[in-house]
Amino acid sequence: MKSIRLFAAWLSAALLMAAATAQAQGTSGQPIKIGIGIAQTGALSGGGKAALVALQLWVDDVNAKGGLLNRKVELISYDDQSSPAVTPGIYTKLLDIDKVDLLIAPYATVPTAPLMPLVKQRNLLLMGNFSFQVNHTVKHDMWFNNAPWNDASSWSDGFFSTGGRLGATTVAFLAADQEFAQNLANGARELSKKLGLKTVYEQNYPPSTVDFSAMIRAIRAAKPDLVFVASYPNDSAAIVRAVNEIGVGPSVKLFGGGMVGLQFTPIMESLGSMMNGIVNYNTYVPGMDYPGIKNYFERYSKRAIAAKVDPLGYYITPFNYAIGQMIEQAVTATKSLDHKVLAAYLRKNEMKTIVGPIRYGPDGEWASPRVITTQFRGIGDKNVDQFKLPGKQVILSPASVKTGEIVAPFEKARK
Amino acid sequence: MKTNGYGFWIGSAVVLALACIAAATIKNEYYFFAAYIVVQFVVLATAWNILGGYAGYVNFGTSAFFGVGAYIAVMLIKWMNLPLGLQIVAAACVGGALGFAVGLLTLRLRGIFFSIATVAVTIILETAVINWRFVGGATGVQILRPPVMEPFDSYTKMLFVCAVILAIIAVAIARYIETSWIGRGLRAIRDNEEAAECTGVPTLKLKLAACAISGALMSAAGAPLAMYQSFVEPASAFNLTYSVSALAMPIIGGTSHWIGPVIGALLLGTVQQVVTVTISSELNVLVVGVLLVVFVVGAPQGIVGLFVKLREKIKGKNI
Repeated sequence: MKSIRLFAAWLSAALLMAAATAQAQGTSGQPIKIGIGIAQTGALSGGGKAALVALQLWVDDVNAKGGLLNRKVELISYDDQSSPAVTPGIYTKLLDIDKVDLLIAPYATVPTAPLMPLVKQRNLLLMGNFSFQVNHTVKHDMWFNNAPWNDASSWSDGFFSTGGRLGATTVAFLAADQEFAQNLANGARELSKKLGLKTVYEQNYPPSTVDFSAMIRAIRAAKPDLVFVASYPNDSAAIVRAVNEIGVGPSVKLFGGGMVGLQFTPIMESLGSMMNGIVNYNTYVPGMDYPGIKNYFERYSKRAIAAKVDPLGYYITPFNYAIGQMIEQAVTATKSLDHKVLAAYLRKNEMKTIVGPIRYGPDGEWASPRVITTQFRGIGDKNVDQFKLPGKQVILSPASVKTGEIVAPFEKARK
Repeated sequence: MKTNGYGFWIGSAVVLALACIAAATIKNEYYFFAAYIVVQFVVLATAWNILGGYAGYVNFGTSAFFGVGAYIAVMLIKWMNLPLGLQIVAAACVGGALGFAVGLLTLRLRGIFFSIATVAVTIILETAVINWRFVGGATGVQILRPPVMEPFDSYTKMLFVCAVILAIIAVAIARYIETSWIGRGLRAIRDNEEAAECTGVPTLKLKLAACAISGALMSAAGAPLAMYQSFVEPASAFNLTYSVSALAMPIIGGTSHWIGPVIGALLLGTVQQVVTVTISSELNVLVVGVLLVVFVVGAPQGIVGLFVKLREKIKGKNI
């Protein structure tokens, strides 16, 4: 009887140990799942596809190093069709069906906006992905945006400070009547007021506008010192062409400011020398040196060409890779996947990334914004490789990364 | 097809009970997110069929009415923070009035001219909202959901049950119209409007009524969008996809019977939801197009028509 009891005790202990080992193996064997809904179709797909290439590159890099917490990392992505209507469903699927461990926000503001109440309600960490003022209403304390801006004025600060140094007294505004452009223009108007500039022309145009010749003529007639343009990619290209044909007059010292699209390789290649002299915002240009960035672009470029997406990818992709690096740093340091623990770490510590060190403010945006203001110089036609060279986009602001002085007036800089 | 009044209401009660049981027992919210969209399309397809199916006036303006519903809800939330039920009622009233007004202006047109006019309505209303800063203008507006009402434990589940109730109301109205003198009048208009007019059918009044009821239901379907998405912006609220899907679903299901749009919406809506998260979103749009072409060419009477044909064949064999 005693031997049977002893045998039963040994058997129970062995079974318990086997179960515990199996459970431990199950946890460590399972990959860490990171979920994202990102535009692969629709208006945002150009940026979304390139961003996904960068994120996958980080996943492959981290897995080559053994993963996180001794577990492989798996990226689960769905196409959000560039539509906010699809976002809540996709992220609920990621959370409730795919059971992802961590979340990355969709690329850009509009698809991210519907997600904010969901993550706040569920107390989840969300790594932002190039959205603008999306946490303004919700005020979620576990939101961390990868984009190098915070408020609207951080975009146009460099443009107006440069204009101020040139002694500008008047300004003209031309803005698309759409979400992002209007926010940008509002920030620019505030800065203009602070500088005491007189507004001599102000026009919002419908997003479907294709002919800007009448507006450019009106700007020319108003003789402003500064022309601040807040436009979307197609508009930006049309405006640059109109300026090239008509000209904005000798009074204009600076032209540009918030023109989206002049950062994208296909548009830069297509416009070529027509961009010379334009002063515009950007996030990264060759010549800005951070640890690992050159190596990143060499590897990204190969993958981008294979995937038929933006081969240079300066504007968005290093910041997407940086999302991965921030996750890696936080998970490695805290040895945890707990969202609250990770958020606390991200809030308190400096993140080391290929786009430089990042510290977050209380709203989850960069504590010190680093939107750069650049001037196109010496651009030729039909040559993609020229944009890899430093000096083609001279950084005027901020001072920490400045690479040259402004050439003004605009007509002189165009030559 | 025969219609059984008791059977319909018992069936509706069973559907509502199943929706409530699902909300009480299923923990996974994703199913409710996906199911909400499918049920929303049941309302839109049924509403479209009242004018498009029964009267034969092809309306491309579903997205206009849907967007108006969404923005009426946004306005009421920002203005008075009204509860969801009142948002839906207000949206239905405004949608009905809009339908009446649009009908007055456009129903004298026929065929492709009427369809083009309804597309224009969408563009006009979207432009108006883009320039209306109170509801966020072109930027869109973020909406924070209020605390969920008892007995629900999540707002999404509440929205789902709400959508099911809306769908039952929409189908009940469509069924009443189909089986009453209104439906007979609308069918007469569809077959030959001049002949209907000559035989004493009040064609303009009936068309206006159909347009107003259809508009009211479409706007009611749009009202919960603000709470579903927590964010509304003009491009997605007035998206032409709603118009295309609301048209495709009754054509696939069958426009002659009230069950047709329901079948079409359940089938196409479910396929769209599955395709979105399994294969590709590009295919999502392709699926609608391909199914539409297949049914228009192969089965112009839709699934209901196929079913009727099959039944007649079986009957013929038995005789």
